[in-house]
Amino acid sequence: MAPDKNDVLYGTLGLMVIKTLEAMGPLHGYRIARRIEQISGNQLVLNQGTLYPALIKLEQLGWISSRWGTSESGRRVRVYALTRAGRTQLQREEAQWQRAASIVERFLKISEEPS
Amino acid sequence: MMLRALLWRLRAVVGSRQIDQELDDEIASHLAEATEEYVRQGLPPDEARRAAQRSFGGVRQAKEASRQVQSFMWLEDLARDVRHGIRTLGKSPGFTLAAAATLALAIGANTAMFSVLNAVLLRPLPYRDPGQLAMLWTEDPTQNLREGRSALWDVEQWRNQSQTFADMAVFDATSTTLTGSDGAEQIVGAAISPNLLSLLGVQPTLGRSFSTEDAGQSLVQISHRFWHARFGGSHDAIGASIVLDGRPSQIIGVLPPGFQIATLAADVWEPQAIHERVRGGDTWFVVGRLRPAVTVDQAQAEMSAIARHVNDQLPAAERNRGISVVPLTRQMVGSQARLALWILVGAVFCVLLIAAANVASLSLARSVARAREMAVRAALGASGGRIVRQLLTEGVLLAAVAGLVGVLLALVEIRVIRAFGPATLQRLNEVSLDLGVLGWALAISLLTGLLVGVVPAIATLRRDMRPSGEESGRSVSGGAAARRVRRALVVAEFALAIVLLIGAGLLLRSWWNVNSVDPGFRPERVLVMELSAPTTFNVPGQRTDLYHRVLEQVHAVPGVENVGIIGDLFIANSREQVVTIERDDGTVSERVRFRGDEVSAQFFESTETPLLRGRSFSRADGPNAPPVTIINDAMARRLWPGHDPVGRRFKLEQRASDRPWYTVVGVVTDMRRQGLERETVPQMFVPLEQNPPRSVDILIRTSLDNPSAMAGALRAAVHRVEQNASIYGVAPLDQQFGTFLTQRRFETSLLAGFSVVALLMAAIGIYGLIQYSIATRTQEIGLRMAIGAQASDIFCLMIGEGLTLSLTGLALGVVGAWSLGRVGSSLLFGVTASDPWTFATVSLLLTAVSTAACYFPARRAMALDPMAALRVA
Repeated sequence: MAPDKNDVLYGTLGLMVIKTLEAMGPLHGYRIARRIEQISGNQLVLNQGTLYPALIKLEQLGWISSRWGTSESGRRVRVYALTRAGRTQLQREEAQWQRAASIVERFLKISEEPS
Repeated sequence: MMLRALLWRLRAVVGSRQIDQELDDEIASHLAEATEEYVRQGLPPDEARRAAQRSFGGVRQAKEASRQVQSFMWLEDLARDVRHGIRTLGKSPGFTLAAAATLALAIGANTAMFSVLNAVLLRPLPYRDPGQLAMLWTEDPTQNLREGRSALWDVEQWRNQSQTFADMAVFDATSTTLTGSDGAEQIVGAAISPNLLSLLGVQPTLGRSFSTEDAGQSLVQISHRFWHARFGGSHDAIGASIVLDGRPSQIIGVLPPGFQIATLAADVWEPQAIHERVRGGDTWFVVGRLRPAVTVDQAQAEMSAIARHVNDQLPAAERNRGISVVPLTRQMVGSQARLALWILVGAVFCVLLIAAANVASLSLARSVARAREMAVRAALGASGGRIVRQLLTEGVLLAAVAGLVGVLLALVEIRVIRAFGPATLQRLNEVSLDLGVLGWALAISLLTGLLVGVVPAIATLRRDMRPSGEESGRSVSGGAAARRVRRALVVAEFALAIVLLIGAGLLLRSWWNVNSVDPGFRPERVLVMELSAPTTFNVPGQRTDLYHRVLEQVHAVPGVENVGIIGDLFIANSREQVVTIERDDGTVSERVRFRGDEVSAQFFESTETPLLRGRSFSRADGPNAPPVTIINDAMARRLWPGHDPVGRRFKLEQRASDRPWYTVVGVVTDMRRQGLERETVPQMFVPLEQNPPRSVDILIRTSLDNPSAMAGALRAAVHRVEQNASIYGVAPLDQQFGTFLTQRRFETSLLAGFSVVALLMAAIGIYGLIQYSIATRTQEIGLRMAIGAQASDIFCLMIGEGLTLSLTGLALGVVGAWSLGRVGSSLLFGVTASDPWTFATVSLLLTAVSTAACYFPARRAMALDPMAALRVA
């Protein structure tokens, strides 16, 4: 029973979150948001609030886990971490994305030819 | 992971407020962090805060979206699982039907059995705070008296001295003559102390309770049943008069429907004075209410001390008395019936487990067949947890349907039990489907569903660990884990079935033993009638004369072959008394537990009890003749072991007493007048004429197979002699004998039924497994045959697989039954819990059944065409 990707992941936000957590280790919400923005070279300006429903869904799916901790500035924050299932999922998603991306790329090339 | 997701959702449902709070905190610290960063970049605090809010977006929207995710996702998933489950089950109607029917039968039987347990043992008694009610009994270890009745005078002492009891009340059953327009009639009455109803916390449906001033007055409370039968449920009953024992009594109240105390359910309840100037006989049942928070142990300790104190004021012979405090709930159902019920509930639960194991095994087989479906789903991104949940949902769905049908079945079964269950089991008439029973049905359905779902789920998960490629192609390795689980299930089924079968076997042997006990009389074609002489017959001679004339009249009725009279045919207990015996080596006084009764001359002829030695009584053994006695074999062995007792003498009490010497004139076979399962007690019989009792049992041996048909003619014959004599309790003797057996019959037939079902299910289980094993190993079998295995080798291979499993189950079951045996041994009669005969028979039976179950599929395997078998793949 495959979860509906658009529904669950808000497009690619979920993938970005788990990829970020894989790369950076456990982070709290604000750091995740900033990291995503930074990696996209600040091309992607998140509506940071939309991050939270996505985090909840990912946690429900068991791909990330959370606990309360402290930020660098000493604030009480909820820290998210990738689970083993999340790691497996990430590999799967990455492969799928790459495949999809290559198909689209090829498709775009083909459609260029007749012109 | 799956568990965490589930807990997470549960928390979202249960603790939604806390989760909201946490989300608020999280967003607040997010904004604070963002603001801080903007400040570090050089913005003034105000602007920094605004910038942070801008990049966060709508706080409210974010919360709203989060909340939606929390609350709806799991519901959506559940709905999707259920829809999918219904579709899947619908796609294989054969499996669904077989599985649901098996489970429904088991759940139905469990629900019905539990409803009995619930009504008889678990449901509180219909009194206020019934846990604080207890019966108080007089006991005397030196007289072998346990749970004896008490004297009113004693109870008054207890009541005055006790701190642990808030109050005590007494009651006793009476046989009351109701005189109406249509003649006199014997009804069940009760004499109670006026405080009984308020002590129990029972309010009359109509009218008022007794007050202390009512004691000894001609007032009466009537039962709900009597009210409807006599007064049609009219309010006019209050204040009306009925004639009881010749005196008019005024009705002041109607008791609630079904009201009873202990086992006494009377139609008329009369107030009895609780004070007594002179100490009377031990004739009363005593019930007390403990003060709040007082335990039975505390009360027992106090009452034992009070008993010692009271004993000082008693005659010397009664100074060994004690008081035992027994919770009322315990009093209602004896320990044997209690144990039997629990065993039956356990047995039927085993049947459910076996049924669940069978269905789990079936769905496991299906899950292997569905391996590809699962693999595709996993490839599409379904997590293991998701698939497991799907399988669990299917199991629970199946069990839900089965539970629903099962409850309907239970409704029917409950009616059957109420109609045919043993009347000796108290409160059986209260058996019904209440919330507790429904809760139990729900719980076992859910448990069954999880059991049925979790087994294939585990096998699926194991398979999931492997890379998905391995599932494709010819490999059947996915089935290996499943097959191991199925084998374990079959072994467990056989082990459980064996335990039940051995239990049933032992009970059947006990049944057989009880039935082959020689009761010492032949109950067929005999009618028993209780007769009590009118209260005006005060002189013994009057009563003797009455009984003689009754005997003559009854004997003259056509169809009567013989008629005899005894004081009391069935006896509950016997007392120990001092007896002085003349022996060859001198006269000795000993304590002997025995029972004495008056019988008419023809009594032993009417019961066809063989006379072993000496003679019967005759009319010549009258009141003025020398006192003579007939004793039973047990009494003879007790008084003069190894000697012929005829012509010897004994007397009651000490040598010095002025009681007469009885000369033994005959010895009769032991009669089991206490029931078939009790040891015979020594008995002595004296001629009726020497001490005619007030009420007697008349035994009439007829020439009819159905002696009840003569009841009318016999009644008329008695009334021709004396119009005012009361007759009650007319019943065939074998029917009265039957009541000794009803409870045992109930237990035995239920357990036997359960164990047969268990055996059949286990057989079906092993049949299915072997069948399936052959289906999945077709190639292997083909290969074996191709390289030279004979058909008989294949046959042995398959049979061997089955027998290994069933014998393993057998071994486990035998060990289990052997160690459980001690628990139920008090239910057995004439057979030990480790009876080798039963164990051997059951083992043989089981081996035979499992061999038969494996035989048919194994034959099919033998007939496989190797080429075809190899090509299948």
